[in-house]
Amino acid sequence: MNNSLLVVIVASAIFYGTPLLFAALGELLAERSGVLNLGVEGMMLMGAVSGFWAVQTFGGPGWLSLLSGVAVAALVAAATSLIHAFLTITLRASQIVSGLALTIFAGATGLSSYIGHVANLSGKPAHHEFTAIDVMGLGDAPFIGPILFHQNALTYASWALVGLILLYLYRTRPGLHLRAVGESPATADAMGINVTAYRYIHTMLGGALAGVGGAFFSLAITPFWLDGMTSGAGWIAIALVIFAFWRPELALVGAYLFGAFSSLAFTLQARQVHLPPEVFSSLPYLMTIVVLVLVSSGWGRRRLGAPAALGVPYVREER
Amino acid sequence: MRGITKRFPGVVANEQVDFEALEGEIHALLGENGAGKSTLSNILTGLYRPDEGEILVRGNPVAFHSPRDAIEAGIGMVHQHFRLAASFTVAENLVLGHRDAADRGFLLEPRVIQGRVAELARRYRMPVDPGARVWQLSVGEQQRVEILKALYRGARILILDEPTSLLTPQESKNLFETLRLMVAEGRTVIFISHKLEEVMAVSTRVTVLRQGKLIGTVLTKETNPRQLARMMVGRDVVFTQKKEAVAQTERDVVLDLRGVTALSDLGTLALQKVDLTVHAGEIVGIAGVAGNGQRELAEVITGMRRLTSGTVSIAGRAMRSGDPLAAIQQSVSHVPEDRMGTGVAPSLSIADNLVLKSYRRAPISPQGWLRAGRIRANAVDLMRRFNISAPGPQTPTRLLSGGNVQKVLLARELSSRPKVLVAASPTRGLDVAATDAVRGLLLEAAARGVAILLISEDLDEILALADRIAVLYGGRIMGVVERQKAVVEELGLMMAGAA
Amino acid sequence: MIRIERRLRESRWLVVAVPIGSLIGAVILSSIILLATGHDPLATWQRLLERGFFSEGAFSATLVQATPLLLTGLAAAAAFRMQTWNIGAEGQLYLGAVGASGIAIALQSQSAALVIPAMVLAGLVTGAAWAAIPGALRAFFRTNEIITSLMLNYVGGLLITYLIFDSHSYWRELSTFTSRVFPQGKYLSPSAAWPSLQIAGIGVPFGFFIGMFAAAGLWMLYRSTRFGFEARVIGDSRSAAHYAGIRTRRKIVAVMALSGAFAGLGGASEIGDFRHVLDPRGLQQASFGYGGIVVAALARLNPFAVIVVALLLGGLSNGGFSLQGADFPAGLVGTLQGLILFCALAGELLVHYKIRLGRPAGVSHKPADAARVGAA
Repeated sequence: MNNSLLVVIVASAIFYGTPLLFAALGELLAERSGVLNLGVEGMMLMGAVSGFWAVQTFGGPGWLSLLSGVAVAALVAAATSLIHAFLTITLRASQIVSGLALTIFAGATGLSSYIGHVANLSGKPAHHEFTAIDVMGLGDAPFIGPILFHQNALTYASWALVGLILLYLYRTRPGLHLRAVGESPATADAMGINVTAYRYIHTMLGGALAGVGGAFFSLAITPFWLDGMTSGAGWIAIALVIFAFWRPELALVGAYLFGAFSSLAFTLQARQVHLPPEVFSSLPYLMTIVVLVLVSSGWGRRRLGAPAALGVPYVREER
Repeated sequence: MRGITKRFPGVVANEQVDFEALEGEIHALLGENGAGKSTLSNILTGLYRPDEGEILVRGNPVAFHSPRDAIEAGIGMVHQHFRLAASFTVAENLVLGHRDAADRGFLLEPRVIQGRVAELARRYRMPVDPGARVWQLSVGEQQRVEILKALYRGARILILDEPTSLLTPQESKNLFETLRLMVAEGRTVIFISHKLEEVMAVSTRVTVLRQGKLIGTVLTKETNPRQLARMMVGRDVVFTQKKEAVAQTERDVVLDLRGVTALSDLGTLALQKVDLTVHAGEIVGIAGVAGNGQRELAEVITGMRRLTSGTVSIAGRAMRSGDPLAAIQQSVSHVPEDRMGTGVAPSLSIADNLVLKSYRRAPISPQGWLRAGRIRANAVDLMRRFNISAPGPQTPTRLLSGGNVQKVLLARELSSRPKVLVAASPTRGLDVAATDAVRGLLLEAAARGVAILLISEDLDEILALADRIAVLYGGRIMGVVERQKAVVEELGLMMAGAA
Repeated sequence: MIRIERRLRESRWLVVAVPIGSLIGAVILSSIILLATGHDPLATWQRLLERGFFSEGAFSATLVQATPLLLTGLAAAAAFRMQTWNIGAEGQLYLGAVGASGIAIALQSQSAALVIPAMVLAGLVTGAAWAAIPGALRAFFRTNEIITSLMLNYVGGLLITYLIFDSHSYWRELSTFTSRVFPQGKYLSPSAAWPSLQIAGIGVPFGFFIGMFAAAGLWMLYRSTRFGFEARVIGDSRSAAHYAGIRTRRKIVAVMALSGAFAGLGGASEIGDFRHVLDPRGLQQASFGYGGIVVAALARLNPFAVIVVALLLGGLSNGGFSLQGADFPAGLVGTLQGLILFCALAGELLVHYKIRLGRPAGVSHKPADAARVGAA
């Protein structure tokens, strides 16, 4: 029963959807503060390479090494996002061009590749990897076992993160302030909320989460390092935020939907379904387009749920 | 406030301004648009920092580095454009950024907060539902939220920037009652306005600003509107532009709306079965509180919005709905509400903006190629005829003052020899001289036989210019009256939907 | 404390100084990265310049790199000028290569006079069609064109991989045993090779000439046609365009198609000038589509400046590729391009704003006397 196609697809959808979820939650936080960061792909690749490097470099028991990997990935990606924050928040540069620049700078032909080659990381398996944890021996429970109780630590962490962000956004004072900054920075400013600080902090939180998502590729999915290994996941994460109407719980649903598309190729090939691999591989990209079209045309003409000040620099003293 | 000076790139907004307000008084700050009232109040609320001068609260010098400092010093501001987050509830807006002993927790407890807000609303007789989302509220209710917000923060000094500009006459009266209630408690109200009558009606003292400079402070009961007007404008007369009546029956109907129904951007009914006619040479004024279908009405006539039913005819010919090009080709001109951004392309030059509608025809573009020389000549000619002051025709339009942008717009719209002109809030935010010039242009156009639909929130403007006045409320025409027979109180009742 | 004020007019000399300053800034920043990873920056730059511009045959090789960058740069400039964000030049270039090589295979027995114009046309059309997809989605469904055009890059990449590696397609060579085991595309007949013009011993690819004409055409289009005027209005304010009766939707599709046509031409030139075979790996490694964004941004969307910047960045790419190895790690070119863009963005601020350092004068702390707000 636990080997039935449905269970395998759902379980692996969650696995492949986890990095998308991390990156989408991060982008969601940044966009809620009004900062559109198109550099997710680049930040994920920075996370992938630096997390992998940390695991190869720092010794210690496996859990500590992996923890350091995730921490380094988050820090490095957050530092990368700081460039975007400085250019767009302080210098009011175009958020679109700056985000693209970030992806070119850090992306598959940029700094992440440079670091990977300088540190000689390619072609080697990770010293440690995130493996599935059987929670309370429930991993073999019928149907829900493989889906809910046989995932790795980062997946469990992502579930907690969805809950935390929900609580943060709707039930805490800083969360209220964050929403106000993205909705109407002039109002927030007049109420004594530091718009600049909120935007910096959440852009960098967004970077950190994208970094963790990237590390998931190099420490759980493959697990080795490769140039441009996220292959567009960062862009799909940006689309997910739109698809999720900027709500964390819907980002979870969307991430697993796209996780399913990503995993379909592997699952079906293992089951002797013969189609060119490119057909499966292009599925997530094509579905991203389809879903975006549905969201933008079908459900109301307004950008439902989009922070009103998204993409707009805030300037106090201009007339 | 002493010796306050504030400079912006290219202008000095405040120059050596002294200002004081006492406990328990309503102190009016009077001046025309651009006199520096808003800048002064933004300095007082910590939004801007003065280049020179100092601020004292109860005798203590204070330095406001941010709005939070001003809030802590007990200064609250109700901006002309409300500072409210539209998707938030009333209660959420009130607690935003607020910090005091009772209300500092990390976690929010919506029910407790809503209870406290409801109690405050009761005390100041400003009924409003704390759980409602701000975008669902009327403009008057949103203003109450703004005032409650300041009071919730314990403001002792309340600044109101042009608070009556969006209210019906009745709503304004209610507001004045609330303000008197607050000064009776020993609070201070600073009331910013450019309307003489309401300043005379509500204030204890008046301070007048002109071109960023302090003109003087007088006791309200020792002055009169005439003296205040002279202080405010620097000359005796205010508005001389007034429309000569035309006998409409002699003229042809040029603009004819029959059963016009249209939706707003949010998909709600914005216009419901509107019937309206405008004759050649006639000015019909559309009065009403903002958000009652004015914008949609203008857009429907100019093709920018689709009709769901009904017809718009120009000189007897039905117009294609939702096609701005069709409206342009049928000689409908449009001065939109949002002049910078819709009425002109802000980064393009004045010359380009002056051909924004004529670029697709000869002589500007025979055979599809633009003739730079003709675009320039057109600009030079129109800039002279319409008295547009700018460094040159190649200047980006965004660098012009509001009055000059409006002249660019009118120059383009009137030089195309229109049959119909739809003008939405054509003088909003302009100074006296520019207002005068714009009104003069409208009257001139009417005299040449253009049918004009004037949409304005400023009832005085409509009373001065329009032959007939239609009141719009909730997307319906509440009534059409001739100017000579119009009574302000009746119009006010119609604007509030009670007729 | 940094204060930023709007300039009342753009500073003219900064328009030239900013791109140059951006290059210098990027070189300094990447030198820091090189130093941090134990490389000698001076030696690296020296060798890069040598290989890119000065050594024998280097400039010809640089022109080969600059040609697709020129065309994708024009693609980005054409779209960005109207604030339409076509990030899909990469995929449009692949499709242009597919179209051009396809028609060349079909016409292989024909003369060059027929084959070459057909390849140019095929590149233009296939690139335009691929770009029209996100354009139409944007125009009619308001779908974000950044993400859709980008997603189509990955789809385009998978498509060319499929054509050569995972199918027995028209483009794949199947006549010999080795080619059936080790997949490769069909090599084109000599009549499909674009002529290279020798000027002072430097081979200038035919595609580069077409690109220069395209740049002049784009400049004319934006400057003195109705189409260009409308695009400028839309780029500045969509609502002003709607107000002026401009058909915004058609225009978005048209400009996206135009942009895609430039990128597709880049793909055709890759085939005709350089590769003579549909080579999925080579095309994807070069990432000319993304490079075009950098070119256009550094050229501040001016078509003539795109030519100069394409040569410059083409030299860097050429030097970077030919030096790639242990002491010149991969990724440096992209890093440098990203840094150039960052510097250009920061520099753009100087064009539009004045920056003042230091605390604003004002708020004094003198003791009080008479005038006050709110009497005690």
